[in-house]
Amino acid sequence: MEIIESLIDLVFLAFTSMVPLLLGAIGEIINERSGVVNIGIEGIFLLSALTSTIVNYFTNNLGLALLTGVVTGMAIGSLHGLISTYLRGDQIVAGVGLNVFAYGMSVIALVTIWGTFGNSPSVSTIPKLKVFGHAVSPLVPTSIAVAVIVWYFLYKTGLGLRLRACGEDPKAAEAMGINVLRTRLLATIIGASLAGLGGSYLSIDWVGQFTKEISAGRGFIALANVAFSNWNPLTAILGAFIFGFFDALAIHLSIVSLQPALAYLFKIIPYLGTLAVVSIFFRRTRIPPALGKPYIKE
Amino acid sequence: MSELAVEMRNVWKVYPDGTIALRGVDFSVRKGEIHGLLGENGAGKTTLMRILYGEIRPSRGEIRVFGRKVSFRGPWDAVKNGIGMVYQHFSLIPSFTVLENLYLSLTSIKKGISIDYVRKLANEIMSKVGFEVPLDAKVEGLAIGVQQRVEILKTLMRNAKILILDEPTSVLTPIEVEELFKTLIRLKRLGITIIFISHKLKEVKRITDRVTVLRKGRVVGVVDTREVNEADLAKMMVGREVFLRLKKAPISPKEPILVVEDLWVKDDRGLDAVRGISLTLKKGEILGIAGIQGNGQRELAEAIAGLRPVIRGRILLENEDITNLPPYLRYRKGLSYIPDSRSVGLILDLNVISNSILTKLRDFVGKGTTILWSKAREFAGSLTRRFNVVVESLNTPVKYLSGGNQQKLMVGREVAVLPKVIVASEPTHGLDVSATEYIRSLLIKLREMGVAILLISSDLDEILQLSDRIAVIYEGKIMAIGKPQDFTLEKLGLLMGGVKVE
Amino acid sequence: MNKLSSLLRGWRLSEYVVIAVEVCGSIALGIGIATLLLYTLGFDPGKGITLLLGGGFTDLDYLLSRATFIMMTGLAFSIPLMAGLFNIGGEGQMYLGGLVSLLTAIYTGNLFLALIAGGIAGLTLGLFIAVLRVYRGVNEVISSIMLNWTLYYLTIYLVTNTFYDPLAPHESIKVPQSARLGLISIGDFKLHIIFPISLVFILLAYFVLYHTKIGFEIRASGLAPKAAKYAGLNPERAMIYAMCLGGFFGGIAGSLNVLGFTYYIDTLLTTMYGMGFDGIGVALMGRGHPIGIVFSSVFFSMLIIGGQSMQMVLNAPKEVADALSGIIIMALALPYVYRMALSYLRARRMIAHGDH
Repeated sequence: MEIIESLIDLVFLAFTSMVPLLLGAIGEIINERSGVVNIGIEGIFLLSALTSTIVNYFTNNLGLALLTGVVTGMAIGSLHGLISTYLRGDQIVAGVGLNVFAYGMSVIALVTIWGTFGNSPSVSTIPKLKVFGHAVSPLVPTSIAVAVIVWYFLYKTGLGLRLRACGEDPKAAEAMGINVLRTRLLATIIGASLAGLGGSYLSIDWVGQFTKEISAGRGFIALANVAFSNWNPLTAILGAFIFGFFDALAIHLSIVSLQPALAYLFKIIPYLGTLAVVSIFFRRTRIPPALGKPYIKE
Repeated sequence: MSELAVEMRNVWKVYPDGTIALRGVDFSVRKGEIHGLLGENGAGKTTLMRILYGEIRPSRGEIRVFGRKVSFRGPWDAVKNGIGMVYQHFSLIPSFTVLENLYLSLTSIKKGISIDYVRKLANEIMSKVGFEVPLDAKVEGLAIGVQQRVEILKTLMRNAKILILDEPTSVLTPIEVEELFKTLIRLKRLGITIIFISHKLKEVKRITDRVTVLRKGRVVGVVDTREVNEADLAKMMVGREVFLRLKKAPISPKEPILVVEDLWVKDDRGLDAVRGISLTLKKGEILGIAGIQGNGQRELAEAIAGLRPVIRGRILLENEDITNLPPYLRYRKGLSYIPDSRSVGLILDLNVISNSILTKLRDFVGKGTTILWSKAREFAGSLTRRFNVVVESLNTPVKYLSGGNQQKLMVGREVAVLPKVIVASEPTHGLDVSATEYIRSLLIKLREMGVAILLISSDLDEILQLSDRIAVIYEGKIMAIGKPQDFTLEKLGLLMGGVKVE
Repeated sequence: MNKLSSLLRGWRLSEYVVIAVEVCGSIALGIGIATLLLYTLGFDPGKGITLLLGGGFTDLDYLLSRATFIMMTGLAFSIPLMAGLFNIGGEGQMYLGGLVSLLTAIYTGNLFLALIAGGIAGLTLGLFIAVLRVYRGVNEVISSIMLNWTLYYLTIYLVTNTFYDPLAPHESIKVPQSARLGLISIGDFKLHIIFPISLVFILLAYFVLYHTKIGFEIRASGLAPKAAKYAGLNPERAMIYAMCLGGFFGGIAGSLNVLGFTYYIDTLLTTMYGMGFDGIGVALMGRGHPIGIVFSSVFFSMLIIGGQSMQMVLNAPKEVADALSGIIIMALALPYVYRMALSYLRARRMIAHGDH
């Protein structure tokens, strides 16, 4: 009986954990399908978590704080989008730079606003729904709904077809009259906003404060989810749950275990687990052929 | 003036690296005519049309379409003005169906149309013009000729009144070329203006009403097709008398050196590209493989060079089975391969020295694995001298060399150490006339020295000029082998198109 | 002198100009934004930037020693990059290298063994990442980052629970004297020997990349895999070798750090944290060339130390230096912009003069 209860706890914890992994992956699927790779998701998580905490702290308005996170994502998406499209920059390098910058900015903000190098003070979080006695954030069903909507959009609508064309063969798409650069820019902005949503979830929905470790590599696990799901939003739901489960397992074990020292070992579980899953479930994935290459007109 | 569909005045195009593609070109096309744009590779024909289509922006110049001055920011503007372009390399998304591709291209002009509307419109136009394409098939599975028809259909569905075709016949079989010409005449009767870019004199003479000839980015002349013959056009195109015959000593065939037995090779998509080809190449002879690109020649060449695995069959070099040997060992045994693309045969970002030793690395590696750069430098120096490769310095990255010099370097490298067998794929592709003549005479000289050459070329003139024997390849099989005298041009064309003739 | 001039003549002058513009432009952009940042945070930007740029020069030994580690992690990123791989795992390779060299030093007391062991540990990680990529198609960005975090926690766990110094529980057991790399004196000036050693490794890297067959294979495969295959080279083997080399240098970074500078590992990994990522910036600014990396590592080291002194004197957060590096990296992602700008100017000049 106890084991089943623990298992159910784990499952619900996994649902909690999966939200940023899902939102980040869906957003990234959108822009990678159009041909732009954004490895700065981690940085977006950090910065939107930061900004929404700040807004929440000063205004206590959760809706506004959530919106701020999304807007932060949009802003970063615009920058990365511009670099990757009209400025023909190297997408991976830009993403790396973004992550480094975001990390630096987070600490700067912590120091200047709250005078600490550790955590921000706690802020209120989004009220939860009660499901089978467990507290579940409304963002959990929301993120799943978003995944379904994005799947429909990509595969069943004309706009989705045009977006995918940019990632399949940008020259052909351009010749068909699609404005590839603009489409890619928009896709990146939208993708980054979803990541922004995931980021603010981290601080004002789950943890309740901002720390510089609030993301701890989740942005990259979301990237792993994109590859695992073969760029399909529906499969990404499954993937996010699996990776979230690893995360939940790590957290659960550190709480339950009697040896506090092992906590560090448990923390390894999400990362090794992700690596193992991605390595084992290697299928003939179909990477969008034009991914990562800047589209250069003459 | 309203008689003119297109009027381009004083068009210049200068590229960021300094190359000047177009110098003050004036170009005009009358409504409803088929106008030929003739010139060699690099004359500027494609550049001019890409400017008309809005793909490139002119550095200077004025463009008028149906009398109205225009400034296109991209192809979508050109399309809105009734211009449609069919490239040599199609702009279709291979993994989508024909209908999806058509739908995509239409939605950029008319928002909010349904896929059924696209289907209806496509069927309407197909019956009006009189050809057909399978709407629900994936593009990647269709024959080239059919794909081209999809492209034409695409432009018609977008209300194109001016159709630009860039070298449309280079990827077609002779039968498909006939179909295309029939279609073009039908379109002309429907009032469509057609601009036909080509370097093929016969076709231009056949199908066009007027011709504009470009050379090195300038207009050499605009003529009425009926008033000139092919020799006149050739002279305008090249600027001098073209010698179509090269002096060649008669062959004294020696013993066989390369034998290909019942070879089967797959292409990149996993389909059979070479289906049971058997050949014997003798010392001191040039065997020309004639055929339209895409019939298995490249796969055959790559299999012989060791770059592509052999499914069935054998390759023997001097009676030794090399079927499973890696490329560098074949090179060691005297086989040389000149690929059809300079981006495969050279590493453009590396300098002349590195490229000179590219296929012969092991000869320039000392004890351990150190590269002997001074030895390499000497070799590179001798290569550039012997083969007339013009370089500022041996350390210049090869990408800064002209196409002709790059080709000469690549060919020279493979030829310098006097291999026993050369597999040469499109050796003069994209070169100007002097470089072409140079390489062709080089091949003849090698032949006289006893080198066996397998020449693969889509240029029939080249095959006829150089070969001692000709083999025609179609869909992975050899249709016929014989001496050049045994074939008329017509017979060759039919064989290349898959028609067996006796 | 003849060789040098022919070398220079080989490259168009414009190539050098473009590189200079790219590097200086990115730095200028970074400094500009840092100035803005300091100003908005309420600090004196003039003093701040001076400290940021100048603070590194107060202690030359510290400057150069600090540069050592990121020079090595710079190689860890740049060598695989030449083969077309993004090795973000320099961080993890450094941790493992440091850990393994520490343990080897403790158990064998042999300096040379410990140094090489660290390199080999890094090499193994690199090999693992490469094998995953070549044989399982796992993207190296993901695998290297997962490994980074794994090794981060693993190292902390081992240092905290097994290898801690009973007299100073926040630190590991110290490196025994016999296995330590010390200082050398040049006249009055004392310098940690790790800097000259790293220069030796740089020369080694340069030699391997530009004077051996495997180096050629790596460079060729990264630039043009199809052409490399035509030449009889093997791009996949090149990737594996490149990752092994990169991992090796990442591990060496850890060895040099532990055996030659700190002589222990602390439980928060503060002495090694972030150097893998700094190495990426170093590699980018050094344009991937070993000699360039020497200069850019000193530059970055200067920035980091400057950040620290800025913090000490002005109380401004030293992470401004991090933010600055991030901006520089992003700006260095834009090579095309500079080329576009320069060629646009040149084209306009040519048309204006009606060139024929």
